[in-house]
Amino acid sequence: MSKLANIYVFSDKPSRIRDLIGVATPLGDKVTAIVIGAQPEAQAAAAAGAATIIAIPSQEGVIVEDYAPSIAEAIRGAGAAGLVLLAAGKRGKCLAAKLGAALRAAVVNEASAISLDGGLAVSHMVYGGLANATETISSPLAVVTVASGALEAAPCQAVAGAEIRQGVFVPPAHPIRLVKREAKAGQAVDLAASRRVVCVGRGFAKKEDLSLAGDLASAIGGDVGCSRPIAEGEGWMEREVYVGVSGVMLNADIYIALGVSGQIQHMVGANGSKTIIAVNKDKNAPIFNFADYGIVGDLYKVVPALVAALK
Amino acid sequence: MNIIACCKIVPEDQDIAVKPDRTLDLSKAEPKISQYDLNAIEAAIQIKEQSGNANVVALSAGAAKTLGNSKIRKDILSRGVDSLTLVADDSLEGRLPADTASVLAAAARKTGFDLILCGEGSGDIYAQQVGILLGEMLGVASINGVSRITAGDGTVLVERTLEDEIETLELALPAVVSVTADINTPRIPSLKTILAAGKKPTVTETLDGIGYQAPAPVAAMTSVKAPEQSDRKKKIIDGDSDADIKAFIESIRPELTA
Ligand SMILES: Cc1cc2nc3c(=O)[nH]c(=O)nc-3n(C[C@H](O)[C@H](O)[C@H](O)COP(=O)(O)OP(=O)(O)OC[C@H]3O[C@@H](n4cnc5c(N)ncnc54)[C@H](O)[C@@H]3O)c2cc1C
Ligand SMILES: Nc1ncnc2c1ncn2[C@@H]1O[C@H](COP(=O)(O)O)[C@@H](O)[C@H]1O
Repeated sequence: MSKLANIYVFSDKPSRIRDLIGVATPLGDKVTAIVIGAQPEAQAAAAAGAATIIAIPSQEGVIVEDYAPSIAEAIRGAGAAGLVLLAAGKRGKCLAAKLGAALRAAVVNEASAISLDGGLAVSHMVYGGLANATETISSPLAVVTVASGALEAAPCQAVAGAEIRQGVFVPPAHPIRLVKREAKAGQAVDLAASRRVVCVGRGFAKKEDLSLAGDLASAIGGDVGCSRPIAEGEGWMEREVYVGVSGVMLNADIYIALGVSGQIQHMVGANGSKTIIAVNKDKNAPIFNFADYGIVGDLYKVVPALVAALK
Repeated sequence: MNIIACCKIVPEDQDIAVKPDRTLDLSKAEPKISQYDLNAIEAAIQIKEQSGNANVVALSAGAAKTLGNSKIRKDILSRGVDSLTLVADDSLEGRLPADTASVLAAAARKTGFDLILCGEGSGDIYAQQVGILLGEMLGVASINGVSRITAGDGTVLVERTLEDEIETLELALPAVVSVTADINTPRIPSLKTILAAGKKPTVTETLDGIGYQAPAPVAAMTSVKAPEQSDRKKKIIDGDSDADIKAFIESIRPELTA
């Protein structure tokens, strides 16, 4: 199939607009960026490579999600056919579904591939990453969220003299009131960029013991990540550093799992690593099926010995 | 307050096998409550405990052959909900989110509700959208990513922990809220709630009974395939005696010092 006539791009994070346009460019003849704001926001989108921009006037105290009717209206006005690309954060996913419902469009979150052979088809992981499902789209418009780095982005040139159109603010039928917003303290490491990762699993008995993982990470010059329950549930580490299908996808040279069972939802994120090393006291833990090297043993015994030997 | 907690019944992922042609064999996978829907049920129960006068209905849509499983019904009811509503029809197997949301919307309209709680994503297709679609189809406020809920008078105050900020929002009821996995730790059913489950009502609805009308299809799942696995060396040392640990260290040292 030839390229799509229209692709619309919206990012709630300014940092993602460039790569979304980069993903859109090879797929569509015309890429339109939708921004909330005025000249500065529109110019930023033009600098990131958008040739056409629709700027929706920014409103005081309105959360991004409540711009869904305005964004839907902008897309409707431009033909409502083709593809809408959004950043795959929580806001992006919320907006995607709101747009999907408003425009009767198929919605796919966290696309792992977008293909135009024989019609628009979008793939995403299912069964915890055990498989990839491909959805063939039959609605005129599809709304797709894309995680950072998940799809190849073509390099984009800044567009001089981009066409800037004025959008309208369409108030939501049931406005959500913003009571308070705070920035999160501290910035977590970008594990996707780490070369060596030591991963904490529920085999750790208490938070204080995490220093063991820290010691090993410093001995090998790496960073510490974790399984999802360590971040969500125990709350011992930041959510930004859990590895897996709903967390970080690693690209490391070395990944060392300590007390991680190795369920598929986790391993999908770890499998991008060149070498996988596992310490687990259960011989039958699934992690050993995914490992290059492993030891069936108590991490409380193995890790201190390992740290001492590497010093 | 009438609360609906949506829960999907999904195959136990640990029992799904990958066939040589990389398609999936689900035949040995027993049905279970989708993991993150336990958080939605727990959140509903906690609101009920706080406000004192809420009624919690668990709602699940799916194939009749799956929802007919009495173990599953009992499992849902033993988690403290007041009743269970099932929309059971074999044609509901493998439906995509837009369809599922319209089924749930029809059921919710019939049941009536002030607040609908969904999980962050279903354990099988993890589409992460049914809650929001449902809210839009019902024409009420909806939001996702909620990590705390406080029920007010005709409103709910919700906290969302986003990638780099935390926000507090107020939604007027009725509303649909999708909760995250860390909103709570779902409690394990107690002997008391397990015994009580047997006395709680289950209502089984049909698609006609809830007045469901299929929306125009927007997509079809045309292939489900496991990715190719990279071969791993699988050099595993079985035991953690000092000699074993030494052998392990020597086996990985070249990798670590490379
Ligand atoms: C939709 C969905 C998405 C999910 N996404 C993710 C995701 O992105 N990332 C993720 O990590 N999980 C994810 N999960 C959860 C996943 O299914 C597993 O529950 C989770 O990965 C298990 O974490 P764990 O290995 O730390 O804990 P457990 O499974 O409890 O394993 C702990 C392991 O530690 C071992 N152990 C215990 N004590 C010791 C000791 N002293 N020494 C050595 N070993 C010891 C045990 O043998 C066991 O194997 C998801 C689940 C669902 C349903
Ligand atoms: N068939 C279903 N029956 C009941 N609830 C469902 C069903 N499908 C999805 N849900 C709810 O919607 C949430 C999101 O699902 P999904 O969009 O498929 O990831 C789930 O966590 C459930 O709370």
